[in-house]
Amino acid sequence: MVNAMHELTEPDTARTPGHNLHLQVPAPVAGSAAAPKPAPAPESGTAMSAHDVSLSFGDKTVLSGVDLEFPAGTITALVGPTGCGKTTFLRSLNRMNDRVPGFRRTGTFTLFGDDLYAPSADPLVVRRRVGMLFQRPNPFPLSIHENVVAGVKAHRLAPRNKLRDITETRLREVGLWDAVADRLGSSPFRLSGGQQQLLCLARALAVEPDVLLLDEPTSSLDPVSTEAVEHLLRTLSPGITIVIVTHNLAQARRLSDRTAFFFEGRLAEAGETEQVFEQPASEATRQYVTGRFG
Amino acid sequence: MTDGRTSVTHPPVAKPPGDGARPRTSRRDTQGLVRWTTRVAAVLPGLALVAVIVVLALEAVPVIPVNGLHFFTTNTWNPGNSYSQPVISHGVQMPAGASYGALPLITGTLESSAIAMLIAVPVALGTALVVVDKLPKRLSSAVGMFLEMLAGIPSVVFGLWGALTLGPFLVHHVSPFIASHVPDVPPFRFLKGPVGSGEGLLPSGVVLGIMVLPIVAATTRDLLRQVPRGTREGAMALGMTDAEVIRWVDLRWIRSGFVGACILGLGRALGETMAVAMVSGAVLGANPANLYATMTTIAATIVSQLDYALSDATGFALGTLAEAGLLLMVISLSANVVARFLVRRSSAGVALPVGRGI
Repeated sequence: MVNAMHELTEPDTARTPGHNLHLQVPAPVAGSAAAPKPAPAPESGTAMSAHDVSLSFGDKTVLSGVDLEFPAGTITALVGPTGCGKTTFLRSLNRMNDRVPGFRRTGTFTLFGDDLYAPSADPLVVRRRVGMLFQRPNPFPLSIHENVVAGVKAHRLAPRNKLRDITETRLREVGLWDAVADRLGSSPFRLSGGQQQLLCLARALAVEPDVLLLDEPTSSLDPVSTEAVEHLLRTLSPGITIVIVTHNLAQARRLSDRTAFFFEGRLAEAGETEQVFEQPASEATRQYVTGRFG
Repeated sequence: MTDGRTSVTHPPVAKPPGDGARPRTSRRDTQGLVRWTTRVAAVLPGLALVAVIVVLALEAVPVIPVNGLHFFTTNTWNPGNSYSQPVISHGVQMPAGASYGALPLITGTLESSAIAMLIAVPVALGTALVVVDKLPKRLSSAVGMFLEMLAGIPSVVFGLWGALTLGPFLVHHVSPFIASHVPDVPPFRFLKGPVGSGEGLLPSGVVLGIMVLPIVAATTRDLLRQVPRGTREGAMALGMTDAEVIRWVDLRWIRSGFVGACILGLGRALGETMAVAMVSGAVLGANPANLYATMTTIAATIVSQLDYALSDATGFALGTLAEAGLLLMVISLSANVVARFLVRRSSAGVALPVGRGI
């Protein structure tokens, strides 16, 4: 996946219809309507990176001097005590802070080598390619089907007659199809919290992002739903780069390939999850991961 | 348990120590008082509605068969000759030659309200969206304050402004432009023709629109404030433009309540009396021929004709005004019912508030 600069700057009107049915993401669910394609080999190289990044709101500096790379196809967990800036950092990865009054950023973010904040970079395209799942499920007040394809329609990624197929593919992908197949036209607010979150995930995946950001995606879910989401993330991970903010250290440990520990406005430590948990380089990390504070 | 019951029915009222002063009102009595006042308060609105309808109907019922169906289909508004001997029709006394047709009133009411809604609804929606989402907090509360002040201006002041300022402005600067630029084909022919005097349908509609605007805008603003930030952010995070976020999240979220807000405004426009009486020209007897022609509405006619009607010894004119009043109520109530139906149908399982009052 070589992403030339122009992909960040031009809306993808040139996409051929049906392109989006080529899953960049494996469709692991048995009985999927779409022909299951073999999972693409894990990406080589860096999906996203932050170089010497500082983030602040007004006079208050939230994070400073962050250098971090997200290798393509990996799951990276961002952990750290509340208020350490990890969510602000996550939201900067798809420019969700742009509209926040007083937000300022120095340093560079890249997406497959392209400058995320370049003047020519279109935030709408950035957000299509870097999707996001939130702490609380936030389905739109549309039908279940319209929820899944909302982004597809906004970005005109597929012709109208393909939308139903996309809905089915994505709902199967997140394992929600059997539960909602007979009520695609009804409101998503009657679904359980876990189902709503899966729906939001299907919605995010439908625009075929290269990177998926998750902001404590399971903190409002019960253990069974949490397990379902985690399982799904693991099956997605080789094809898509995942960055997850979590307060749940056990989750970070069992889910992620790499862990970044934010502490007091700095990136205290980043590395292989195993190493960060077993042989942390810094004392703060060791205390945090062993539950001394946080 | 029996012990408990006994102690409930005989509350141990603590006697003031010492002298045998009268015990204060028992808590049980207060309870009963509150219960009865709230019951009365609960039925009063219903009673008021029934009373209004009954009184109007009592006045109107005798004249309804006389005015007949042509009341709804003809244009003449002729109170008859009150100096001649009254005639009797359908057992009801009426001045000789009296003949009432309310069609111009009905069309005037509907047309002026339609213009008002055409102006107020988009502007109100835009105002509400800007206030909620785009303005910094301090500015947005200032705009909100202005909206509420606009809603509080007495309608007679709007009427004066309409007659003195808006009417002449429209007739000099706006109406000629519209009249000369729209194509001369059927749906637009209504917009052509002489631009009149500055009193008429267009100024009435515009004044009504401005009066309705704050009601719709303030209610819509309150509705938009209830759209969860997370849902809006979810749409942003998918790479939606502002317009798409508004269309697929905000508008869908407030849809049912917004219909309610519009009907609330429509109700005001339909029933607004004073301002329309002052800027419509209050001309009876003809349907407005074009957008600029003088006209009248049901409400404006009732207020402008009441004086004469009270002087009609046969009471027929008064009865006719009561019939017009009933008609106005039926129109407003049907709008309300239709709105409620639409709201129920469109809320699609999403529990959202319906048109809250202002």
